[in-house]
Amino acid sequence: MKAFQYATAHSTDSARELVAGNGLYLAGGNDLFGLLKEYLVGADLLVNIKSLPGLNKVEHGKTFWTIGSLVTVAEIEDHAEIKKVFPGLHDAAAEIASQQIRNVATVGGNLAQHSRCWYFRHRDTQCLKKHGDLCYARDGENRYHSLFTGNSCISPVVSSLATTFAALDATAIVLRDGQETRMSMAELYHGAWENPLAHNSLDKGDLILRVEIPTTRTRSAYLQVSDKHAFDWALVSCAAAAAVVDGKLKSPRVALGSISPVPHQVEAANSFLDGKVLDDATATQAADLILKDAKPLEHNAYKVPMAHAIIRRTLLKLKGDA
Amino acid sequence: MSSWPAEPKYISHSTARVDAPAKLTGSARYSSDIQEKGWLYGMILRSKWPSAKVTAVNLDKARAIPGIKAVVVAREAEFNVRYYGEEIAAVAGTSKQACLDALRAIEVKAEVRHEFVVNETEALKADSPRVWDNAPNAPTPHVHENGNVDTAFPGCAAVIEGFYTTAVQVHNPMETHGNTVSWTDEGVTAWASTQGITSVRDGLAGALQLDHSKVRVITDFMGGGFGAKFGPGVEGVLAAKLSKAAGAPVRLMLTRFDEALAVGNRPSSFQKIKIGASADGLLQAFDAENYGTAGIGGGADAGGGGGGADIPMPYIYKVPNTRVKQSAVAINAGSARAFRAPGHPPASYGMESAMDDLAAKLAMDPLELRLKNDPSEIRQREYKLGAEKFGWKQKYQKPGSSPGVVKTGIGCAGAAWGGSRGDRNTQGDATINPDGSIEFRLGVQDLGTGTKTVIAVVAAEMLGLKPEQITVRVGDTNFPYGPGSGGSTTCPSVSPTVFDICTKALEQLQTQSGMADVRGENWFAACKKLGVSPLVVHGKWQPGLSTDHACGVQFAEVEVDTETGLVTVKKILGVHDCGLIINQITLESQINGGIISGMGYALYEERVMDDLSGVVLNPNFETYKLPGIADVPDIEIVLINMPERGVIGIGEPATVATAGAIANAVFNAIGVRVSSLPITPAKILAALGKVPPPVHA
Ligand SMILES: Cc1cc2nc3c(=O)[nH]c(=O)nc-3n(C[C@H](O)[C@H](O)[C@H](O)COP(=O)(O)OP(=O)(O)OC[C@H]3O[C@@H](n4cnc5c(N)ncnc54)[C@H](O)[C@@H]3O)c2cc1C
Ligand code: SF4
Repeated sequence: MKAFQYATAHSTDSARELVAGNGLYLAGGNDLFGLLKEYLVGADLLVNIKSLPGLNKVEHGKTFWTIGSLVTVAEIEDHAEIKKVFPGLHDAAAEIASQQIRNVATVGGNLAQHSRCWYFRHRDTQCLKKHGDLCYARDGENRYHSLFTGNSCISPVVSSLATTFAALDATAIVLRDGQETRMSMAELYHGAWENPLAHNSLDKGDLILRVEIPTTRTRSAYLQVSDKHAFDWALVSCAAAAAVVDGKLKSPRVALGSISPVPHQVEAANSFLDGKVLDDATATQAADLILKDAKPLEHNAYKVPMAHAIIRRTLLKLKGDA
Repeated sequence: MSSWPAEPKYISHSTARVDAPAKLTGSARYSSDIQEKGWLYGMILRSKWPSAKVTAVNLDKARAIPGIKAVVVAREAEFNVRYYGEEIAAVAGTSKQACLDALRAIEVKAEVRHEFVVNETEALKADSPRVWDNAPNAPTPHVHENGNVDTAFPGCAAVIEGFYTTAVQVHNPMETHGNTVSWTDEGVTAWASTQGITSVRDGLAGALQLDHSKVRVITDFMGGGFGAKFGPGVEGVLAAKLSKAAGAPVRLMLTRFDEALAVGNRPSSFQKIKIGASADGLLQAFDAENYGTAGIGGGADAGGGGGGADIPMPYIYKVPNTRVKQSAVAINAGSARAFRAPGHPPASYGMESAMDDLAAKLAMDPLELRLKNDPSEIRQREYKLGAEKFGWKQKYQKPGSSPGVVKTGIGCAGAAWGGSRGDRNTQGDATINPDGSIEFRLGVQDLGTGTKTVIAVVAAEMLGLKPEQITVRVGDTNFPYGPGSGGSTTCPSVSPTVFDICTKALEQLQTQSGMADVRGENWFAACKKLGVSPLVVHGKWQPGLSTDHACGVQFAEVEVDTETGLVTVKKILGVHDCGLIINQITLESQINGGIISGMGYALYEERVMDDLSGVVLNPNFETYKLPGIADVPDIEIVLINMPERGVIGIGEPATVATAGAIANAVFNAIGVRVSSLPITPAKILAALGKVPPPVHA
């Protein structure tokens, strides 16, 4: 990697100041060190944000919970209350990577991680996302790529937490130009939907402070399918959340990961499910709506039936049947 | 002729690895742990182009990087590179970062060729770019014919045709390829991660134009080779040149990235098989065409074995009428090397798949079809024993008849491995000290398979001592000659050799001590009589104690989720023979490893290359997927001990049948064939007809 300086920030103000030149925030380092080692990003200064006060806490309130951006994925996984209140979030955290990675991976870093497209990650392929002039994946090896995109890059969002936060309608609180900005998951990734160069909507210097999760949806569920049984990225992931009143879904939300540059959500499906009693037929109809406009490529069309299956299963799990 | 003890105390029992404590506590020093005084890091600059003519390599800027002590070229310009990752130059320096900086500072001038091919099916086409200018990518297929298939097929009651394909598999041993090399005026010492210390010595001596006696290779502990670590490799020779230039030892271990490119792989196979049987299930005709790629090696030399891409067809079966056409296709990718049972796992997968497809056509239980056709008495025994243990009869249902979304299925497949009785030139010696301590020295190496333990077990048995009383030293070319560890021949090479050393030791100790029985409890008293000088005995391989040709069959039980495509292996039962079992626990460990590796071949492993850029897209364990512990099923091993046959190796036969058994179990579960390895969820869903066609924007 290129040589860099290293500094620890003790306040958000100093973090912003430090990063302002050619700096990058460093949290758990799982993603950033990989990028640095492959010369995919460079920085003059790494700003260690792990000592920022107050960002490593999980706090519960009546209407929403707050998860600090420095909370680790393992802490989410091991949090007994989270497991009860947001089982979908627990399940998503528990499937991320390996125990060793979960121990150091932070929520902020997980949300801000870069594309896993193997062309992007390869040191010698200069694709669109790296300011090259073509997307290699589109006519190439696209088995892990998106069914939906708003631009020419088909690299999907792979953050399992983002998928689940989207279903729970969580909000990321981002410090931008000294102001706290609130972003839904759709907003947090919209940049990647539009712009092949982007991995998310964060601007340089934006710092994710925390995520707020409303408690209105008392049920949540998460499922993913991978090639392997553990320590493997999701080929497709799905999260669903809702309240259930008199057996009927209230404010249901479904989101999918690994099939679009953003957590894939279809409002028509959410409103279709609202007020419905879940059964196989409604779950199937919802899945149809969610996948309606999918544009499969040569090697990723399998994701359509796979996604269909896990949408149905996640919904039924939400109901408590599966 | 010599024979093994009839009622052994250690042989055929279980002794824990003698080096387990060293490995568990971390005190074992692997080749990649070696830190000689003043050592430097070494690294290799590789081609960024799949095809180019390198016209000039300028090392000046690299030499000027602080910490860099030596820079050498891999070849003198001008030369052609034919795959992404081919070696161009190497650097040695005081830190990894200095080396990385230096690699980036080397200036390579090249005429880049934009025509190249990394896909074997494309490479076969007449208008494909050529890997070698003056040779077609694929030589004319060679044909082997027996009987007359054309007249035999019409008479068959059932005929099936299939196209079974397997992906290129990368060895990926846990310890990457590499060496620490020290080249001084006295000669060269190399601490190598190798499975052949002698072949590394000879290779280095040849490349460096030194007397063999001036090169010493040491391999105390190494982390696996699987067939890809016999010679010094380009990396070993470069390490030596760097060491000479820098005047310091150089440790040049490849990165995981490098491993995917240039140090071997198992060729792919594309097997078009037509097979026919009479109504009673007897095989009558077999017609097959196969091609595969061994990387750039294919076009110039299409010989069989690890270097080519040929596989044994129709594998373990005898068919009266056969026609087999095979060819190896060159592509712009790193060359293949021998890989655990070269040729056999793809052969077993293809043939055993065809057998099950044929059984389905005949409406016959596939196990029955095997019992009718398998010419090996040993495998017949193994199938019967295994079927009993596995509950084949109770579990078997017609293909596709398992109910529900998650379907279960079972399958089986067989293996054969010729191997050899061992290298008849294997030698060793033992030093017996007056205090009764004894040290064996053999110029073989222990790949982690348990060779040191085998030596201790045989010696303990012969001398009436305990294995922990035996000191074993291997992995040094200063010791008496031992063969490379390939072809599952190490155990049958060393066991008879240790037998001979021990026999001679006992004879000489009897003479020198004047005692009639010097074994066991008399050992120490007898040794004491040696006075002050130790007894040194030399022994060599003896006939009659080892043999060849192992069999083995495996049974698999799987669950297939027909909605997500996920395959879960629930159980593998391996029934194996390897003559006289020397040490059961390390033998089982070999079989466990073989089965897990076979699972990877069946379900996960595939080198993925990009047509447009020519790079390997998955040079890491994130996307080159290997089985993890969560994927590994209940593995049951049943061993047939055949002391009367003498010692046979097991390393290779253990990995052969797994993929075929799993593929057949998947077929049995879902009733349709996934005819391509690895069997991924995507392929399952495609086979089930669930995948919509791509949308072309
Ligand atoms: C083999 C492997 C498998 C994996 N599998 C999964 C998986 O299945 N699902 C999944 O979701 N993830 C998976 N991951 C990704 C892993 O979870 C992320 O890499 C990790 O969460 C990143 O967190 P970190 O704290 O280490 O981030 P870092 O590496 O420190 O940072 C990552 C990026 O985020 C930026 N950043 C960090 N914190 C903030 C912040 N507070 N505000 C703004 N920007 C910030 C950094 O500048 C950097 O660009 C896997 C990773 C690996 C290596
Ligand atoms: S999908 Fe995006 S990241 Fe991948 S090759 Fe295409 S442009 Fe690059």
